[in-house]
Amino acid sequence: MEMLREILAPDFLLRNSVYISLLIGLACPLVGVHLVLRRLVFMGVALPQVSSCGIAAAFALHAWHIIPHVEESSEGLLAFTGSATFTLATILLFAVMERRGRGSVEGRVGAAYVLAGAWSILLLVKNPFGEHGLLDRLKGEIIAVSSADLLLTAGTFGVVVAALFLFHKEFMLVSFDRDMAVSLKKNVMGWDALLFAVIGLTISVSVLSVGPLVTFGFLLLPALIAHQLASSMRQFAVLAAVIGVVSAFLGFCIAYRWDLPVGPTDVALLGFLYGAAFLLKKLLYRRSVGAMNGPVR
Amino acid sequence: MTEDWLLSLDDVAVGYGRRVVLSGIGIKLPRGSFTGLLGANGSGKSTLIKSIIGVIPPLSGKIQFASQDGPDPVLGYVPQREALDSIFLLSGLEVVLMGCCGRVGPGRSFGREHRDWAQQCLQSAGAGDLARQRFSELSGGQKQRVLIARALAAKPDLLILDEPTAGIDAATSRAIMELLGRIHREQALTLLMVNHDLAAMRQFIQHVIWLQEGRITQGRADELLTRDRLEEMLKLQFS
Repeated sequence: MEMLREILAPDFLLRNSVYISLLIGLACPLVGVHLVLRRLVFMGVALPQVSSCGIAAAFALHAWHIIPHVEESSEGLLAFTGSATFTLATILLFAVMERRGRGSVEGRVGAAYVLAGAWSILLLVKNPFGEHGLLDRLKGEIIAVSSADLLLTAGTFGVVVAALFLFHKEFMLVSFDRDMAVSLKKNVMGWDALLFAVIGLTISVSVLSVGPLVTFGFLLLPALIAHQLASSMRQFAVLAAVIGVVSAFLGFCIAYRWDLPVGPTDVALLGFLYGAAFLLKKLLYRRSVGAMNGPVR
Repeated sequence: MTEDWLLSLDDVAVGYGRRVVLSGIGIKLPRGSFTGLLGANGSGKSTLIKSIIGVIPPLSGKIQFASQDGPDPVLGYVPQREALDSIFLLSGLEVVLMGCCGRVGPGRSFGREHRDWAQQCLQSAGAGDLARQRFSELSGGQKQRVLIARALAAKPDLLILDEPTAGIDAATSRAIMELLGRIHREQALTLLMVNHDLAAMRQFIQHVIWLQEGRITQGRADELLTRDRLEEMLKLQFS
């Protein structure tokens, strides 16, 4: 109880970390719902890695003086530019290749994941700056969140949540039945592009704040847990966001209490909830089957 | 022939990329007709339908809709139900509401009048009791009724159905065909239905378009679906 009061106090030293955990816990699962519905779970793994690679590339280009010098205060913007550019370019490339029907989706996503991982390391190793700030960014040190990072994340997620809410009907139509959307003369490419831009923006900002592991965890695990328990689309989205926010807060408390890294603690907690939801669903299913069959004589 | 037509295909070739599936297609679909698009599996029926609704652009030729009073006719599309992913936790009513998307602008939500209309469409498709049930958990016939209701919710001028009776038992298949026949009669809608189940549809359709080995045979159902013409087209000998 004492610890809770301490964490919730307005002058708590790590309050930015709490706020950013909650923001990511809210926004990433809402975006993750669309990744799950479109069966793009693997993209949820690859894109945070690509985003990290974008951050590494931006800092490498800066270190090698290929792009102009930036002040230390503008490093966040540099990282965001790299992350967003790489993520959105990859999404665009995936969309074009999918439309042309070349190769397999899994193959493309797998290749993007492994190449982005390898290039992140190579760019980091050859970057003198990589020894300090950059490595922290890629590891997703939730503890070290500046007010500027918090503001950027809050602003971006505000736009993301508003877009998901406003255009829910259009995103649902083009995801559920693309052909029907075309027959109704909807701009399917345009709505797809907007949805992917929203996904890309969320991943870019989230990776910048908490790193690829936590981003992936919050994108997919709350949505996968919620899908097992929900019975309607509204429940699915609301439950995913609630699970994300609650586990982000609980994860922070656990990490603070036992001096653990926040990101991996959050993901481990989500993993535990995923297992629990799976068992709960099995149990409920067995009960309903038992009730239908009646008592054994 | 001065018949009033709703859809015209003029020397159209359809296919994927550089692969031509059908070419030299010339069709005029009479307004208010019930037309069956027949052919064996792989004959290009679904490809042609996807070109008509705009999913696959034609490789050459022109697909035209006649518009009596200005705007393009509204299409109501019933896809093959297997094409819809069961991962979506949508109710019957939510699926039908999608049909209203053409009349509700981006960023605006469905109003009371849209919900009432969707419910009315479900009723006329004989699926009024399926509004609150999860779509993915419905039987094949029930799904088909909900999808027909969704197409009706678009207030279409032309209803296009892709194999609505495929994989459904004979009794349900018959009920679906009777429903379509009733919709055609009562709403004076133009219907174009892909099917390879001739027995299920022969008494309901007025016109036939028969795809066979890249060629098209078309005409009135009572002229084309005779024993002699069928034997000729199918190259089969009935016993």
